[in-house]
Amino acid sequence: MKNPGNQTQQAQLPENPAELFKGSWKTFLVIGVLFVAFTNFNFIIDLMINIMIFIYGLVGRNFGLALILFTVLIRVLTWPLNAQQMKGQQAMQELQNDKEWIAVQKKYAKDKEKLAQEQFRIQRERGVNVFGSCLPMLIQFPILFALIPAINYAIGSGPLSILNLSRRLYDFQNAAELVPLNSKFLWMDMGLPERTEIFGFAIPVLALIVALTTYLQSKLTMPPSANPNDQSAQTAKIMSIQMPIMLFLFSVNYASGLSIYFIASNLLGIIQYAATGRVNWRSLLPGGDKNPPAKK
Amino acid sequence: MPKKISFIAFALFAAIFLAGCTGPSAWPGLAASDKVAYLAHTNAVFAVDVNTGAELWQFSVGGGFLGSNPSLFVTTPVLTEDELLIVPDSGNKHTLYALDTNDITSDKTPNIAWTFSDVKGHWVAPPLVVDDRLFAPNSDGNVYVLDLTDGRTEKSAIEKIELSGESETNRLWAQPVSDGTRIFVTSLDHRIFAINLETYAIEWQHQLDAAVPGAPVLGADGMLYVGSLASKLERFDPATGDHESVKDTNDWVWGTPVTDGDNLYFGDVAGYFYSYNTKTGDWNFDPIQLDGAITASPLIVDDQILVATESGNVYSVLKDGSDFGVWYHPDQEGNVYSTPVLSGDYILVAYLQSDYYFVTLDRDGDVKRTFPEK
Repeated sequence: MKNPGNQTQQAQLPENPAELFKGSWKTFLVIGVLFVAFTNFNFIIDLMINIMIFIYGLVGRNFGLALILFTVLIRVLTWPLNAQQMKGQQAMQELQNDKEWIAVQKKYAKDKEKLAQEQFRIQRERGVNVFGSCLPMLIQFPILFALIPAINYAIGSGPLSILNLSRRLYDFQNAAELVPLNSKFLWMDMGLPERTEIFGFAIPVLALIVALTTYLQSKLTMPPSANPNDQSAQTAKIMSIQMPIMLFLFSVNYASGLSIYFIASNLLGIIQYAATGRVNWRSLLPGGDKNPPAKK
Repeated sequence: MPKKISFIAFALFAAIFLAGCTGPSAWPGLAASDKVAYLAHTNAVFAVDVNTGAELWQFSVGGGFLGSNPSLFVTTPVLTEDELLIVPDSGNKHTLYALDTNDITSDKTPNIAWTFSDVKGHWVAPPLVVDDRLFAPNSDGNVYVLDLTDGRTEKSAIEKIELSGESETNRLWAQPVSDGTRIFVTSLDHRIFAINLETYAIEWQHQLDAAVPGAPVLGADGMLYVGSLASKLERFDPATGDHESVKDTNDWVWGTPVTDGDNLYFGDVAGYFYSYNTKTGDWNFDPIQLDGAITASPLIVDDQILVATESGNVYSVLKDGSDFGVWYHPDQEGNVYSTPVLSGDYILVAYLQSDYYFVTLDRDGDVKRTFPEK
């Protein structure tokens, strides 16, 4: 009797060794980009600061508007990555609704190793790349990690912040003319955590909006699963709660400019997802339709 | 459970990462009497016996929702004649506190004599006491005048001097100076103002090419001098406001120049130290390049000028510029942005991003003690 484990193992190894790397160039590309990004982190931060300040000069010295436009720019530049991520998520979603996938999960529920092998086999057969959704997300990490200090540097409202900002501006920017930046936007100073006094209590209104929009984005863009006990579906559900809480805590403690970025980014993410025609507005309602509209 | 752990780990990682992104936004404020040092550092104000290094008291204010709205004390405290310590809270509370240094509770906290918080912006500038009045510039572009003798515990301004209208970059960050008949206030919106002490009317104002974060100084020639981010030393006639840019510098001038006879001493953020002769209108000697940005004012002690740089080193420069060298080199990391202070026989230097908040040095530059003790 053939060992099923070996059979699966043989199925994974292609006859032509070059096949082993088929489709992996994207992985190498992502690793390369991440390596370059993290070894030139300050360069990326400085670049972002200078783009933000350049936009600030263009829009009449309104940093709130500059930050929103900058967020749009980042979203446009990362559009292909986001699209790829959504495509990957869609493929994973379809896979989770696949009868064979569901059957395998039930059959090998107590044999994790076998389950993994079977899942891998089905993924290969369906042409689904498990990294299809997470690699584009990975490549966005250095952007996010650089963006946060960049915003902090740009809108810092203290003396040391201004001194540090001046050192990061490129020569073509007239630092002496530009500083101090106008960090007022609507009711807030974007260089400081936002609080709005309501009935004598200092309420972090912006942080609450961040949490709300983060929750909305995850609810609207979360692919529904036919099997609620599916591990990835459970993880997505947990993340849809954890992420708003985490971003709320960040927003409470950090400059309100970051909150503006988070809110703008969340709303643009929803718009981008809606543009694909897959956004499921009913999922916001209790017991609403869990199936997304068919792709147009 | 592993999911929870991974979430907590990610949150901690992200929090630590974000916290270390940009560091502090302001440097500490240090003032001293002959015996007591007053340090505004981050979330608290400390009073420290200069001779023993003992902490006499500490003042801080609660952090609000989730501890996320803490007070921020970074402005140089101001001690009044009746020993009230004026400490502005630079955080979101927008409150100016007057602490009674002679009324300390059993838990080593000073009682609050009065507060003032009817402002819209942050406090960065130290206020100026003139007779019985306090002139307090705020980041909302106004100078608030308080009566120190009205006995009120919640002060209201007897005058709000509006300097910069609706501009959003009109932050007033420097302590005003007075010539006895008017006060002079600098603004980040590139302007300098002269305000009549009695009528509170703006006598003159002048627009410069860049922001003026430092305070002006009155020279021995009776003229008003101030450095600006336009990398210039500016001179004004205090009575008329007539202006002249007298010298170019290599970079931004942040700190207030100090006077010694006909000479002005100051530095720039490129680390150059200057000596300007107000009588001849020339440099006394070629600018001296030190090893870090100079944002603090120099301190004149005996026949030498002490200049602290961002690197943490304190340099000694002879008044004629004939010799200079490192006078104090810290034994650990730390930056100096605040002006060193003379207290009795000691020189106090406040550090940022260091294990101690300030170091007490004798006149030879030897460490007597640190606060907190190492």
